[in-house]
Amino acid sequence: MSSSVEQRRPSPPRPSARPDRRPGRPADRRRGPRQAGSRLAGAGFLAPAVLFVGALLLLPFATTIHRSFFDDRRVSGFAGLDNYTLFLNDPTLVRSVQNTLMWVVGSVALPMVLGLAIAVLTHSGGWSRMARLLVVLPYALSGSAVAVVWNFVLTTDGAANQALRAFGLDSFAQGWLLEWPGNTLVMIIANTWQAAGVAVILFLVGLQTIPPETLEAAALDGAAGWRKFWYVVLPQLRTVSVIVVGTSLVGGLKSFDLIWVLTQGGPGRQSETLAVSMYQETFLALHPGAGAAVAVVLTAIVLLTSWLYLRRQLTPKGT
Amino acid sequence: MLAGCARGNSTAVQPGTTSLANDNATWDQGYVAAGRELKKLTGYALRPLSNPNPTSYKQVTQISLQTTKATDMIKWASGYFLKSLARTGELSDLSSLWSAYERKGWVTEQAREPMSYRGAVYGVPLYESYYVLFYNTALFRKHGLRAPDTWEELLHNAEVLKKAGVIPFVATQTGNWPAYEWFQELVSKVDPEFYGELVSGKARYTDPQAHQALQIWQDFMRKGWMTPADFDQNNGAAALKSGRVGMFLHGSWQSQGIAATGLKPGTDFDAFVLPPVEASTRRSVITESGVLAVPRKAVSHEAAMANAANWLDPKVQKVWTDFLQDASANPRSRPGNPVMAGLKQRALEERWTQLPRYGESGPPNLVQGNTDDLGAFMTGASSPRSTLRSMADRAAKEWAAWERDEA
Repeated sequence: MSSSVEQRRPSPPRPSARPDRRPGRPADRRRGPRQAGSRLAGAGFLAPAVLFVGALLLLPFATTIHRSFFDDRRVSGFAGLDNYTLFLNDPTLVRSVQNTLMWVVGSVALPMVLGLAIAVLTHSGGWSRMARLLVVLPYALSGSAVAVVWNFVLTTDGAANQALRAFGLDSFAQGWLLEWPGNTLVMIIANTWQAAGVAVILFLVGLQTIPPETLEAAALDGAAGWRKFWYVVLPQLRTVSVIVVGTSLVGGLKSFDLIWVLTQGGPGRQSETLAVSMYQETFLALHPGAGAAVAVVLTAIVLLTSWLYLRRQLTPKGT
Repeated sequence: MLAGCARGNSTAVQPGTTSLANDNATWDQGYVAAGRELKKLTGYALRPLSNPNPTSYKQVTQISLQTTKATDMIKWASGYFLKSLARTGELSDLSSLWSAYERKGWVTEQAREPMSYRGAVYGVPLYESYYVLFYNTALFRKHGLRAPDTWEELLHNAEVLKKAGVIPFVATQTGNWPAYEWFQELVSKVDPEFYGELVSGKARYTDPQAHQALQIWQDFMRKGWMTPADFDQNNGAAALKSGRVGMFLHGSWQSQGIAATGLKPGTDFDAFVLPPVEASTRRSVITESGVLAVPRKAVSHEAAMANAANWLDPKVQKVWTDFLQDASANPRSRPGNPVMAGLKQRALEERWTQLPRYGESGPPNLVQGNTDDLGAFMTGASSPRSTLRSMADRAAKEWAAWERDEA
């Protein structure tokens, strides 16, 4: 079965369709000034965007890279890679990297599995619309609002512990946000509650684009239930899965708002991710050099992972 | 330029006023009321410019001090936060003004150090709060308790309340800084001189006094005398009113919040300062002062200096502290809030040692990191010994960095 990416692969342009660009032809000479003019106009149209991206994205990024090589003394001096070695010898940053990895794994795997399961289960049948709506709804909320709601649930005096006590499960009641790694895990679950919504939407779109003939053919061949899902449906959801994993990956790497509202990266900076560490170091610990180094490393990881992943997954062959 | 853009024309000269940048919009009414009194003395009222986000306020203020659009006055934190700002050279020297205050007896001797850098004064105290334990008088009466005057009485109160199903003390690390509230209290009540030396970098965190303080703290937590470490202090006033918690350790400015629940200061709720652990130890109180400073490039510099010179005038302070429901740094100004008036009077009469709050008593990086360590300690993630060792290591590093920067 070829992937849907392959199905949509554009056919290579035929040689005859290629415009003749050999120099020296009268037609070219006639077009010359006009082409230059349209190029100029094109550059004019592009200029504002280029300027904005340059001034607001590339320039600050270059400044951040530059700053990361300087120390955090009052009169800042060149420090080489000192700020980057913090990733090896500062226990807070080591913990932050561990947490970021947990977030990446958790925020990719959970929304992927849950999103797919919910989409498949609620794909058909009118009764499931309401269930689907309930799952998708949290996606419309802002991260901070989600965090405030979960704060009511997860604090020691919160709803989760009250419910456990009501059912006589006192021994399970605990400070959910107070101990590592439990606090990171419950925050990943809170994040999944919100992020699964978008995965559900994407998988539903994917399910609707599966040609019914393939399912009929599978049924005629005797495939049903799990076998049909595994061998017929799932391969056709490949493109959607690539997008779900890609967005979750980036989302996991840059997770900030939920953590900031729930724990501020604490207690004792134990639940920080790299995005939170970047903020902590720069604005609270007043170590702009170290903060810049964290920002550079985080950006490099996000770019590299996205590029590696998408390059591998979205090649025409899908290999 | 950035700060200029951020500020727009708000800092431009407006005759008869001085602008005052601050990070708490809920105090605007108080500044305006105090400003009316100032205007009678100096001819200049106060025009508060609030930026409600403290982090962004810090950034914008630091940048704007270097521009020609600096505000006339700024609200800042005392101690090392003020010292860090003063050493940039962007603040006006207020030493002569301070001397005039001293001659009038409007400032105490102890108030000078947290406002000074290299011998010169750079700030005027905005207010002077005490760290106290608030309690609900009806709840105490119900259980036959009174405000403890000795350590033994305090322990007795806690035991009685715990037995009655009331959590004796509010303690939390939510919001980060509250993690050091019990640390500063217990260390200073074990040995006030040691606390003074510890926060000025002369004593070590691994010394026995600090260890004793953390042992007491751990003991309190193990006995279930303290709220969970993720207790929200915003609910503290309501918990005190409902009798869910017995004693609420916080800055005396919290009085306003408790009064807002309908409890009357002095009758429905009162406060006491934690007694020393040993009866022979000198009594002390942790104080917190905000600061008014005048930027060197203030747009209306002369007017700002005039207002700074009259801020501690008892007439101005009366209006201001009545609004805050807190105390003034001027010992001649009697707070309108009976709870604070009583404590202040006792502190002066018995000559309690006034100690600066931990948050402003060391290089900001040191305080930030050590507060994180205390947060971890409160959740049981680290023992007293390992917590103090980590704090000591950081202190050695950050004090060295501060000294190096000074040189």
